[in-house]
Amino acid sequence: MTALPPLSLYIHVPWCVRKCPYCDFNSHGVGHNAELPEDAYIDALIDDLAQDLAMVEARPLHSIFIGGGTPSLLSPAVFQRLFSEIRARIPFTPDIEITLEANPGTVERSRFDGFREAGINRLSLGIQSFNDAHLTTLGRIHSGDDAEQAVLAARSAGFDNFNIDIMHGLPGQRVSDALADIERALSLAPAHLSWYQLTLEPNTEFYSHPPRLPEEETLFDIQDEGHERLKQAGFERYEISAYARSPAQRSRHNLNYWQFGDYLGIGAGAHGKVTRTDNGRLSALRRWKSRQPDAYLRRRADPRGYVAGQQVIGDDEIGLEFLLNALRLVEGVETELWSARTGLSLEALERATARVRQRGLLTLNQRIATSDKGLAFLNDVLADIEPPA
Amino acid sequence: MAKDAAPSPLSNIRNFSIIAHIDHGKSTLADRIIQLCGGLTERELKEQVLDSMDIERERGITIKAQSVTLDYQAEDGEVYQFNFIDTPGHVDFSYEVSRSLYACEGALLVVDAAQGVEAQSVGNCYTAIEQGLEVLPVLNKMDLPQADPEEVSQQIEEIIGLDATDACRVSAKSGLGMEQLLERLVRDIPPPKGNREAPLQALIIDSWFDNYLGVVSLIRVFDGELRKGDKVEMKSTGRHWDANVVGIFTPKRTETNVLRAGEVGFLVAGIKDIHGAPVGDTITHAKTPQVERLPGFQKVKPQVYAGMFPISADDYEAFRDALEKLALNDASLDYVPENSDALGFGFRVGFLGTLHMEIIQERLEREYDLDLLTTAPTVIYELLMDSGEVIYISNPSKLPDLSSVAEMREPITRATILVPQEYVGNVITECVNRRGIQKDMQVLGNQMQLTYELPMSEVVMDFFDRLKSITKGYASLDYSFERFEAAKLVRLDVLINGDRVDALAVIIHRDQAEPRGRVLVEKMKELIPRQMFDVAVQAAIGGHVIARSTVKALRKNVTAKCYGGDVSRKKKLLQKQKEGKKRMKQVGSVEIPQDAFLAVLRTND
Repeated sequence: MTALPPLSLYIHVPWCVRKCPYCDFNSHGVGHNAELPEDAYIDALIDDLAQDLAMVEARPLHSIFIGGGTPSLLSPAVFQRLFSEIRARIPFTPDIEITLEANPGTVERSRFDGFREAGINRLSLGIQSFNDAHLTTLGRIHSGDDAEQAVLAARSAGFDNFNIDIMHGLPGQRVSDALADIERALSLAPAHLSWYQLTLEPNTEFYSHPPRLPEEETLFDIQDEGHERLKQAGFERYEISAYARSPAQRSRHNLNYWQFGDYLGIGAGAHGKVTRTDNGRLSALRRWKSRQPDAYLRRRADPRGYVAGQQVIGDDEIGLEFLLNALRLVEGVETELWSARTGLSLEALERATARVRQRGLLTLNQRIATSDKGLAFLNDVLADIEPPA
Repeated sequence: MAKDAAPSPLSNIRNFSIIAHIDHGKSTLADRIIQLCGGLTERELKEQVLDSMDIERERGITIKAQSVTLDYQAEDGEVYQFNFIDTPGHVDFSYEVSRSLYACEGALLVVDAAQGVEAQSVGNCYTAIEQGLEVLPVLNKMDLPQADPEEVSQQIEEIIGLDATDACRVSAKSGLGMEQLLERLVRDIPPPKGNREAPLQALIIDSWFDNYLGVVSLIRVFDGELRKGDKVEMKSTGRHWDANVVGIFTPKRTETNVLRAGEVGFLVAGIKDIHGAPVGDTITHAKTPQVERLPGFQKVKPQVYAGMFPISADDYEAFRDALEKLALNDASLDYVPENSDALGFGFRVGFLGTLHMEIIQERLEREYDLDLLTTAPTVIYELLMDSGEVIYISNPSKLPDLSSVAEMREPITRATILVPQEYVGNVITECVNRRGIQKDMQVLGNQMQLTYELPMSEVVMDFFDRLKSITKGYASLDYSFERFEAAKLVRLDVLINGDRVDALAVIIHRDQAEPRGRVLVEKMKELIPRQMFDVAVQAAIGGHVIARSTVKALRKNVTAKCYGGDVSRKKKLLQKQKEGKKRMKQVGSVEIPQDAFLAVLRTND
């Protein structure tokens, strides 16, 4: 049997100051200067992790990602405690990547030094746009200038490895607006850029009251010209929406999702996935935690623990889930990862992809990867893959 | 009527139908009559009884004829046997209507006192008058504040030519005027004639298939007597059967073991196939084969054909079984296997008209849970070949090479349209656009009655919907087949990326081919979603392209952001996309949604 996949840890912080109209994450607006139950939440996270430990199977953690919500609303001190408690239970690899999602607000950026001291070595800044009018439309509570200040603060705190989230396809956005956002992002010399299209997701304000998005052709122009500009600036696109200045600066945590690695998920509404072997057969166990912050906190005293549900992903679905992730990578993955991560045969992969390969949308040799066209039409590629069982 | 009651003398029988436009209150009136005669309790009445199929009730129309036998205690102290025969209320079923009327001596013409006369009632009313029925005008919905009995009476006189000064004024809903109506029935509708000593002569008004009994036939006895155990002969086939069950509907099925001249009831004779007891056929005893056939028997022929294909090829068997079951009950339903390059295996199904088609499609989808794709309906064309042979074509893609065709003929209908005067201009324009030739135009009060000869293909092509929309819903239409007539017809093909799509071909008049072709390709362009490559849509006659449009390729189709460990939503989206794909039909490398196959129907929008 091949070795188990690398293990990551996702930590969810379910609060933000104000919920953005496009956001479909498990996030609850609490207003400015709200008193968050920080210590109780950290206690719960540690307890939650303790209950997941059986799934670790003697692997070290190679990345941690703290997402939200706005996790930078929590104070640096609590992260210090959190990491030392985690480390007491699961060893870290020497080069572990620890990412914190942060908003460019004034309060948050005063904490960057502290975050750094707590052991966080990568920041992901939710800037979204530098255009104040577009920021207002998106319901963001910061300005374009705040965003620049945040980057400077991050840098002076010692964060060279930081990501900037930029959204495009915003209501009323022209191609030139989108390119202007890219220029300003580039001028801040980030290590990594997440440059992704605004989509209207169910259970969001935008979904029930849709804003007028740019015409389809404008969206295509934005994407083509944006990709071109980023490439020219030395940013390599390694996933549909992810760009890195060098391979070393790719998001290790996200790569682990895309390479169908294992991850624990702790915190309100967090999802985890770990590989299991039963009698030599591989399957994946998906497990998710109680969503509402209050309900999550109450689970400490609940004999059921924090788990809201779990599901075994067997032969009928595991292959599709693998491809759903792996094919988002521009270079795809090494073909041998298929059997290692899904337990399915190479023949099964060949059968599942026969039609899309014939259509010239996918290649399968040492690596499995989409063609350029296949990447642009990934939804069609995935819809045309036969269930590999 | 209890089964041991003494036989009603002919003079105490009244056989009648109700002629009414959809939603002029036929069902409510029928219910009220049944209730007044004690056929049902108030509670049983809650469910309208005569329209028993779900679809009938929802659409407010009767598809199968039914009957009910009632006892009425009249003011003169006598007990009368009422046989009320319900008739289908739509133009597609005019043959069934004519047979129902033939079984009656009278009819109630029910007109909504607030809405006035509609063409459908006019057509059926003429049929009744031609057959010598006594027609009793009834103004219904008199309880409505907008009821205008004077105006509507005048319409009845002008349009139908019936004296309506004495018309019954009722509200079936409130019961107003109902007793007087029943008395009028007794007084004005003549009793049946007939000789109970003569050899048996009975008419099949309708037949349907019952899972337990086999074919059940609703019959009217004209002469003689039919008793349980008799050996009977069907005149159309000459076959002999045993009369196993004989009875009446009260409206519950009640065995009486005998039906006498003048009476209406049912017969079960061990017949397993509905074609063994066709509507309009004559029944006599096996020992009296010399008895003549009643006039007017027709073998019902479909007027409109469409290809029907299961969306999922796996459903083909289930679809065939469902058609078989429906055909058990519907002698007018005709189907043969059809294999389309574009749509795979299915059936070419013949219908009496487009409403019949809609009903069948709805029943297949609802009662048999099938997902079907139905192509645009087509009429039957008559082709005179160079060889002198005459052939009939019900599928445009099967049209032979035109070089071997001496003459193409299309079916022509005679259409009667009733419309308020202010909309006449719109209607005339529409009829002209559809190659109509005006035959008659009469002013009838505020209404105009237009008579046109129209190609049936034009009538089938959303004519009625169009008529409604250009007259704010006021126009009514009645039509019937007249003859085949030579016409300059061509086949308009649709090509998708150069491939001819057989299921989209239509036969069309040469002069209309180009405008229709242009609208059609534009419509298709709207309906075909953008794909990974440009899709060229062309309309062509023979090899000659007359219109084209292009569905521009999408440049991308990829979900922007997918992170966080929760893939369940992404999986759901993918599932949705896969299901959407299943509902598309693959033509070459192009995915075409179902809607596009009906685009040819909507070229007048």
